Amino acid sequence: MIKAGQIDKGTALLIKGQPFICIDREFVNPGKGSAFVRLKLKSPTTGQVLAETMKSQDNAEDITVTDEDFQYQYNDGEYFHFMNTETFEDVPVPMSSFPDYQFIMKEGETFRCTVYNEEILDIQVPSKVVYLVAEAEEAIKGDTVTGATKFVTTETGLRVRVPIFIKQGEKIRVNTETKEYLERVNN
Amino acid sequence: MDTSLIRARSRLYRNIREFFDSRGYLEVETPCLAASLIPEPTIKNFSTLYQSEYLGSREMYLVPSPEVFIKRLIARGCGNVYEICKCFRNAEQIGSLHNPEFSMLEYYTMDFDEKDSIALTQELLRETALPGCPDGLKQPFEVISMAQALNKATGLELEAIQSPKVIRQKAHELGVLDDPSVSEGWDDTFNRLFLNFVEPSLRTDVPVVLTGYPAQIECLAQNDGIVKRRWELYFGAVEIANCYLEETSPERVRESMRREFARMASERALTGEVIPDNDPEYWRIFRSFPRCSGVALGLDRLLMLQTGRQRIDDLILFGFSDIL
Repeated sequence: MIKAGQIDKGTALLIKGQPFICIDREFVNPGKGSAFVRLKLKSPTTGQVLAETMKSQDNAEDITVTDEDFQYQYNDGEYFHFMNTETFEDVPVPMSSFPDYQFIMKEGETFRCTVYNEEILDIQVPSKVVYLVAEAEEAIKGDTVTGATKFVTTETGLRVRVPIFIKQGEKIRVNTETKEYLERVNN
Repeated sequence: MDTSLIRARSRLYRNIREFFDSRGYLEVETPCLAASLIPEPTIKNFSTLYQSEYLGSREMYLVPSPEVFIKRLIARGCGNVYEICKCFRNAEQIGSLHNPEFSMLEYYTMDFDEKDSIALTQELLRETALPGCPDGLKQPFEVISMAQALNKATGLELEAIQSPKVIRQKAHELGVLDDPSVSEGWDDTFNRLFLNFVEPSLRTDVPVVLTGYPAQIECLAQNDGIVKRRWELYFGAVEIANCYLEETSPERVRESMRREFARMASERALTGEVIPDNDPEYWRIFRSFPRCSGVALGLDRLLMLQTGRQRIDDLILFGFSDIL
């Protein structure tokens, strides 16, 4: 058991027998009231999202999860397919549970995953990842009004706003949470 | 930090000062450090030590709002006043809407009732709006009583859930309280209903004023049967201001402060949290306290809403998460 106030993004909980991951947490103090916490919880197996507002002192049932390495293979439009690097077993994860991950994860890469009952509850993506620029718009000359930026698309299909000097075939580092360009990476 | 946001704060404060100065309000500056506070069990406090080689040492508290001092000024007949100041609330969760040190605007108007203070606050929001402020924030307020809002959101009648047992049973039936036999204050159970059903049901496109807060949620506003003459202002599901038709009866203030101090002391004795001193003579100032209405408005939140930002961190220079 943990206190609701201790729940953070990524905390795994059991709610009515089903595992949920906290994906958002906001504290609220109603005027002249005790501390409460608003939680957004997601079931990675069904994609169901719950909004719960609990008193920070309420108890919640946390679950013990393990961190294991899985290799991301491919997606079939509905599921991401991961391979357990020890047992070589295929573990499908609904794509709807991780909406933009298809543009962030590179096929063949290994990710640390949060596992409960042999199911992947969470995929830990590094906060900064280097991508290859697969497509780059030509910069429009003289266009400095917009801060001299343009869009490029990475090998994973992620569209990123970058400075105009970035060319196709170059590598860039991107913040995977905000999807913002950080820097050019030299080979 | 975006320098346009630093300028936005400076401009907003100028607009606020112009707004109140042109209406004859007096700007005051009261201390941040106090030797005693108005007891509020739900607000945790910061304490520090005044140390003097000759006078000994004494625990002091950072004010959670300037109310404790402003009310002394009002009792002395200072008339309509406002203050822009820093306030401090310990254990305040750090998040997109909270910072333990924050900026507050308080304004007190003599002879004003709820209707007057709502109209004034509506003008304040409209007239101090920065360029680019969302139109919704400048719209006329939607005013709804807590009892109506509760009924609309849950079907419950405020009058029918006055007993702790009944409200717990209802909260349990609505799925927001697991164990209805748990011992918790009526106000906590009410807030479960409020946060899970009422707050999410409020309109977010215009400012909403909720009037008539339950009297069982203790505060220094006047009583009116089962409710307090207190209102709160919301915009986009964010609470921005709180207003009391101020309690003026010395006996009721004394009683309320005694009750709240006892509750706070018993709760905090178990946790070791700071128990700020209570001034047992404070109630005496209410012997000459005029009828007035006091509004406290969170400036970081107002600035966040005016500039269309999602987090108050964006507006606070050196926010708590940066300096810890």
